Amino acid sequence: MIATMAAAARPERVLRGLAVRQVRRGALVVTAVCAGMSALVVVGYRSEALDPAAVAALARNPAIRTLFGEPVALDNAGGFTVWRTGTVLAVLLGVWAMLAATRITRGEEDAGRWSLLLSGRITLAEAVRQHLGVLAVVPVLVGAATAAAMIAAGVDTAGSLLHGTGLAAVGLSFVAVGGVSAQLFVSRSAANGAAAAVLVVGLLTRMVGDGVPALAWLRWLSPFGLLALTRPFDGNRGLPVLVLAFAAVLLLAFAGRLAARRDVGAAILATRGSRPARTALLGSVPVFAVRRTMRPLAAWSAGTCAYFLLLGLIARSMTEFLTGNPDFAAMAAQAGFPALGTVEGYAATLYALLAVPAGVFVAVRLAATAADENARRLTLLLAAPVTRARQLAAEAAVAGCAALVLITVAGVAMWAGTATVDAGLGAGDALVGAWNVVPVVLLCLGAAVLALGWTPRAVAAIGALPAAGGFLWQVLADSIDAPSWIRALSPFAHLAAVPATAPAWPSALGMVGIAAAGVVAGTIGYRRRDLYA
Amino acid sequence: MGVSALRTEHLSKRYGRLLALDDLTLDVAAGEVFGFLGPNGAGKSTTIRLLLGLARPTSGRAWVFDTDAADVAAAHRRLAYVPADVALWPRMTGAEVLDLLARIGPGTDTAYRDELIQRFALDVSKPAGTYSTGNRQKIALIAAFATRAPLLVLDEPTSGLDPLMELQFRHAVGVARDNGQTVFLSSHQLAEVEAVCDRVGILRAGELVEVASVAQLRRLHHTEVAATFTGTPPNLTGAHGVHGLHTDGAETVRFTLNGSPAAALRALADADVATIVVREQSLEEIFLAYYGQNAR
Repeated sequence: MIATMAAAARPERVLRGLAVRQVRRGALVVTAVCAGMSALVVVGYRSEALDPAAVAALARNPAIRTLFGEPVALDNAGGFTVWRTGTVLAVLLGVWAMLAATRITRGEEDAGRWSLLLSGRITLAEAVRQHLGVLAVVPVLVGAATAAAMIAAGVDTAGSLLHGTGLAAVGLSFVAVGGVSAQLFVSRSAANGAAAAVLVVGLLTRMVGDGVPALAWLRWLSPFGLLALTRPFDGNRGLPVLVLAFAAVLLLAFAGRLAARRDVGAAILATRGSRPARTALLGSVPVFAVRRTMRPLAAWSAGTCAYFLLLGLIARSMTEFLTGNPDFAAMAAQAGFPALGTVEGYAATLYALLAVPAGVFVAVRLAATAADENARRLTLLLAAPVTRARQLAAEAAVAGCAALVLITVAGVAMWAGTATVDAGLGAGDALVGAWNVVPVVLLCLGAAVLALGWTPRAVAAIGALPAAGGFLWQVLADSIDAPSWIRALSPFAHLAAVPATAPAWPSALGMVGIAAAGVVAGTIGYRRRDLYA
Repeated sequence: MGVSALRTEHLSKRYGRLLALDDLTLDVAAGEVFGFLGPNGAGKSTTIRLLLGLARPTSGRAWVFDTDAADVAAAHRRLAYVPADVALWPRMTGAEVLDLLARIGPGTDTAYRDELIQRFALDVSKPAGTYSTGNRQKIALIAAFATRAPLLVLDEPTSGLDPLMELQFRHAVGVARDNGQTVFLSSHQLAEVEAVCDRVGILRAGELVEVASVAQLRRLHHTEVAATFTGTPPNLTGAHGVHGLHTDGAETVRFTLNGSPAAALRALADADVATIVVREQSLEEIFLAYYGQNAR
């Protein structure tokens, strides 16, 4: 009885406990990845004597700056680590923070679980504030763990602390972005879409700001730009990180304010009331899957298209620079970007990146199917004369075809960019290079279907693993010069540098075979298990 | 016995240590309106999930018109389903959901569907995300009744409906019965079951404890009798089937009757009966009698 009364006296504590339970596992993974990767890259750094004139040329080259950020302090392990892992980890932390923010606020509310919670003494604004407050601690932990790991690995304390603080501020800002978009939009998917758009625009703004000197001020508008402006291990500037942290705190407070102004289950941006029925693409289960995929595909295509168009536009500058500075070609090779000296090599290297968004897209689409099942929306479909195998085949095939569209759009965008600057990449080469990542995307599809059949709660994580996890694994393995069997664990190690070289058919077929096995095993599981319905 | 619309044999479902459904053998004849009763957690929804192939039985089998229920592509061509908890894609309008369900379902009478939309007074131009529980339920009900599928499986279909809409629901069940459709209705609304069902099955803790027509159920149970007399009331003590005998004042006698009333009527006929009220127990009283003492 005493325990019950104590809990009732402090509803905030109960709320915080609830929030902690929902984020602790992901928080541990993100912290371990950020701290672990940073420490490993510091330890694996090999100092090489660099010609100061060449370093100056590198720092001036717009293409290098666009792609990797401004290269500063590459002559020490800390600076190299920040340059090599900073953006990747900031994006990882930002994506996780934003998805977690919408999941534990709008997602819970959307699923109706907050109605009961908020029937007590807790107000909606209070619930939003406490959940975001708990989540805001995670980036701080990630930043602290990263700084501590780098200091322990033996680099300068001030630079490490600044880099850790910068990461924390980026994470915090995406907790806030997710929190605000969760108040603005009525569904979790719409909130995720808006927050993801902010992330992609932030990333592109950083790239343009770094690449075009006249637009350098743009970096002050992007979390990733502000992170770059701190220049750890070089200038160690604190102002950008202060600006970012201040903006994040303001946004967090704004999210609380917005929550106070709306009803439970409603949103600040009202949904449109009545509208005429749009009956296109409702005729069958596969066609209905196409209908549900169109909007996400358009959004993902827009982001990927913009990114690869930009990569195409800088292709010529990049290849010319590396041809003229062979030292950096070697350095880029150590960072996992070999053969950047020709436009085909450049395209091949960057098309490999395409596997990440395309693979994650496939995983997210099948996770949407799992979410539909969990929310019981599939019940009415499966009560119709539709077998589970057919429904799953439709979802998987549509997700796979949509990923192919995404890949093709990126291929064409890069080609259009290179054509604009006369970099000399053939249209056929561009498409073949983009399609070269299909086996990795199919691995994601296989993993996601496998997860849907056997552990439907982990579809997104398991499905994204071959692409996102494989990419991180490769970055790490390249940075620390790992033995070849460790590199071989990443699917990216088995992609040939198409269009610079011919496709590696045996490994591509091997990956397709593994993917097919995953699809078959997943389908068996999906047919056998009980549905959440 | 004619054709079975729904048949189960030794159907069981175990979730870990919990035996949710224990050896259910049931036969619902084609054309019948069958009520499926039981308290929360008795296994009603589990039974329906097994019948629809949404969950796999631990043992036993089920058939829909002699098609194995596990063969959903064939079995679901002959049934329509209304879940207890209707979830819809929030951005699709009601009309779009109905269109989708009609196009992938077992065939729909669109004219009747339009009539049902009118009857249930549903605005189908709104996105499903704005619908209340009752409105979402109406979508599933309209879609199911409009199919004219020979078997309708309804899982607590009226829990979110107001009394006016519940009347429309009863009307639609009546139309379905007149069309020769079979209705399998799981419900807590005993008045509704009493009003529309021919037979009921009562489930307790995963076991089927009774299957009978509503009239039989009543006959099996008590009938309450209250009689007043102008003269001295007759002595009913010991009369066959008479229980709980007590007198109110000098003229009124109350008792409950089990089984044949012949002995009691003979005794009453010999006295000067002024008034007599014979009341059958409601289904609710019968239901509570089943679960009153040990609820699960």
